[in-house]
Amino acid sequence: MAYGTVNADVIGTSVAGSNLGAGNATLMKNRILNGSMVIDQRNAGAAISAANLTGYTVDRWSYTASQTLKFTAQQNQGSVTPPAGFTNYLGFTSQTAFSPASSDFTGVFQAIEGYNWQDLGYGTANAKAVTASFWVYSSLTGTFSGALRVYGYARSYPFSYSVPVANTWTQITINIAGDTGGTYNTGNNGAVLLTFNLGSGSTFLGTGGAWTASNLFGTTGSVNVAGTNGATFYITGVQLEVGSSATGFEYRQYGQELALCQRYCNAFVFANSAGFTYNASGGGNYIVSYYTIPNMRTTPSSTGSSVTFASSYNVSDATPSIVTYTSAMFGLGLHSSASGNTYGVFTGTALLAAEL
Amino acid sequence: MNYKLVINPYTQKEQGVYLNGNTSNFIPFDPDNTDYQAYLKWVAEGNTPEAAE
Repeated sequence: MAYGTVNADVIGTSVAGSNLGAGNATLMKNRILNGSMVIDQRNAGAAISAANLTGYTVDRWSYTASQTLKFTAQQNQGSVTPPAGFTNYLGFTSQTAFSPASSDFTGVFQAIEGYNWQDLGYGTANAKAVTASFWVYSSLTGTFSGALRVYGYARSYPFSYSVPVANTWTQITINIAGDTGGTYNTGNNGAVLLTFNLGSGSTFLGTGGAWTASNLFGTTGSVNVAGTNGATFYITGVQLEVGSSATGFEYRQYGQELALCQRYCNAFVFANSAGFTYNASGGGNYIVSYYTIPNMRTTPSSTGSSVTFASSYNVSDATPSIVTYTSAMFGLGLHSSASGNTYGVFTGTALLAAEL
Repeated sequence: MNYKLVINPYTQKEQGVYLNGNTSNFIPFDPDNTDYQAYLKWVAEGNTPEAAE
């Protein structure tokens, strides 16, 4: 071995409960973004509606369901004390006692971009094993489940884990074999989805511990959180790293974590601060363009935006229209009501999304 | 759910759609955008977007 090389999967440290990983050291160790659930651009801590079939909760984490009105989700829902080392968690509370039919599913997942997964060699003979680790707190006990799924849902690796004590944070570690089969995106589209099952039917449940050519959310017989009205499922400290050992959670600086999330969702806040002025020669269209920082994954959508005029003069629109041009540029469109000076100030938020 | 086409005023080419006629809800014609992929699926199911103004 070369000087300085350590032949180990994990290196113990003097800090209790903390280890150093040997899998690509610590840079980009955690393939999960916002695993500590600290970034919440869309909702700023507010709950997402139970009426949604799918919706983003805290950044990068999406709730998905086949039927509405099963769960509410919120950052720090229920206001319990997070596990040591964390200040935030993602909480779900069941809104009914739901017995899923075979074709029903509910869960929460994070899709990982191909660029951030390609080095693991999935879909090749060199596919690397990974380890998921996370903290779970639930009002229920028993065997819970989840799955690592290929983006596009053609394959999955279900796993199960035990929560032995209710209303207590339990740290979970899951080893997942590399997938030598299937096809995985290696560019700016999705590669895999780390999924936590909240209550699914038999079509979406199977045997754990192996890759299978079907779309599974978890394991047969696992806890159906949706089945108990008021049941809770809280999660934080989610890490997915190469190798067969769980190492200490990779904390990132807040600004770094926010920038990583903004590749997928960018809440561009105007807040009475962005003015425009021009001289309209004969009325007509005008577009005020802005650049996003950082560049987003692809040209974003603007669904959910709330930009309006804090004040305006010679503008015929009640709100500006929004168009996006590239992964780094969008514009606010407006019309002059007459020739001459046209000016105003924007307020509100352009919610730009380039999610997977 | 419905979509309304958006014409770029400078190129005069279709550049995206507004979701449910809301000019704050723009979806670009970008193959990697998942909302655009959903729009294509909606069209493939036999639906037609509203014409641009």
